Amino acid sequence: MTPAPLKFENISLPGIAVGGATLEVPEHRAVLVVGPEASGVDALPGYALALHRPTTGRVFLFGQDVAKLPRRATLAFRRQVGYLPAGDGLLHNLSLRDNIALPLRFGSDMTEREIDGRIRIMLALLQLVDAADLRPASATDEQRRRAALARALAFDPDLVIMADPFDGLTNRAAAEVLELARGGEIEAGSRRTVFMTGQYVPQQLEPRIEIRYRLAKGELRRQG
Amino acid sequence: MTAPVAALGQGVARSIAWLGALARFFVLTLGSWRWLPRAGRRVALRVLLRQVWFTALQAVPLIIVLSSILSFLVISQAVRELGRLGATELIGRLMVVAIVRELGPLLTALVVAGRSGTAIAAELATNKVMGEMNALEGMGIDPLHYHVLPRFGAALLSLLGLIIFFDLVAIFAGLLAAAASGMTSARYFDIVLASLTFRDVWLTVVKGLVFGTIVGMIPSFQGLAIRGSPTEVPIASSQAVVASIVAIFICSGLFVVLLS
Repeated sequence: MTPAPLKFENISLPGIAVGGATLEVPEHRAVLVVGPEASGVDALPGYALALHRPTTGRVFLFGQDVAKLPRRATLAFRRQVGYLPAGDGLLHNLSLRDNIALPLRFGSDMTEREIDGRIRIMLALLQLVDAADLRPASATDEQRRRAALARALAFDPDLVIMADPFDGLTNRAAAEVLELARGGEIEAGSRRTVFMTGQYVPQQLEPRIEIRYRLAKGELRRQG
Repeated sequence: MTAPVAALGQGVARSIAWLGALARFFVLTLGSWRWLPRAGRRVALRVLLRQVWFTALQAVPLIIVLSSILSFLVISQAVRELGRLGATELIGRLMVVAIVRELGPLLTALVVAGRSGTAIAAELATNKVMGEMNALEGMGIDPLHYHVLPRFGAALLSLLGLIIFFDLVAIFAGLLAAAASGMTSARYFDIVLASLTFRDVWLTVVKGLVFGTIVGMIPSFQGLAIRGSPTEVPIASSQAVVASIVAIFICSGLFVVLLS
């Protein structure tokens, strides 16, 4: 049996009174965990990629306990996952185009010409053609979020992890971000597996998120 | 009564801990070179070249001004004073020992630490505050590969190049000073080149490498050591430049003590 792309096992979070957070992100599903700012749900994407270590509990990414991998292997493992950090995390001395190209230039054996072709497709897909040469400081919030998502999708990963993906976006833009992250539909569900955390989700997006968890009153409850 | 001793002990303990963490950072940075992805080398090279532009090429005018004024003042005074004693041939040794071997590397390192050390620390600290380090890590890019190794390499190359450039400018500015005092250029070059030994040249190169390591490592370390608050950025910059300057002076002193 193929292991779930992402699994949290008994992760301690400030918002959980007893025990820890245990949840599984099944393949081809969009999963969302919402909770107030101090609840610690925002830490889950960092735990998933072993950017930070939880006090207790374990995280399995494609069946592998990432925290136990040596650093070099951890970095290589992270390249299999698309990551959209909170606040976009774009490099401010690079244009949006170069930001999107960075993971490809650094972590693939593609030629510059192949990368260029891939970036053009990503820019068109994310409606960033006109903003491609802007630095993040000159771009709008929406353009920055789209560029960060394009960067996360550059390798066309099977799993996308997003922290606060809808913050500051209009409902229309938020819906587009979600659909792009899902990568279209296949028989089993969404083409990509998506895991998101945040403090809120626009109500109109809820039908497009198959599994929803809410952390409130010291408990993590499944809603969808 | 014991409070001053305790405070002194705490200060020493903090310094030792800082040195240990810096040494670990240095070893990690050098070790990370072995597993820099092949594709990443091109990106790192681009960052390195951009850093060389900021660190070396943009510092050239300042180096010309400092070097030529220093050399002109020292040599014009020396020609006058040593001329009275009939010992003008000593200006060659003075030029080589005082300027080429000691002041050239020292002043160049201080200039680079002041200009680029602060910039490196502030840039890396700001990147950390803005979440860029976290994002790089999340993409599977080691910040040591993308930020630190290129800056370290650029600091080495820049310091080495600028020190040699400083020395060349100083020698030619010394020629102007000597000529203004009535010495012919042929005699000036005879005296200076006769005083220049192979030891002076390799010592200058070694100093360039050591000072380059200091200016490349300490500001990167300080910049990445912050926890993520914007108020830490100016503190990291100031600590980086102070620590770099102190390290440069200590190493300069050690060179004199160990190699003289």
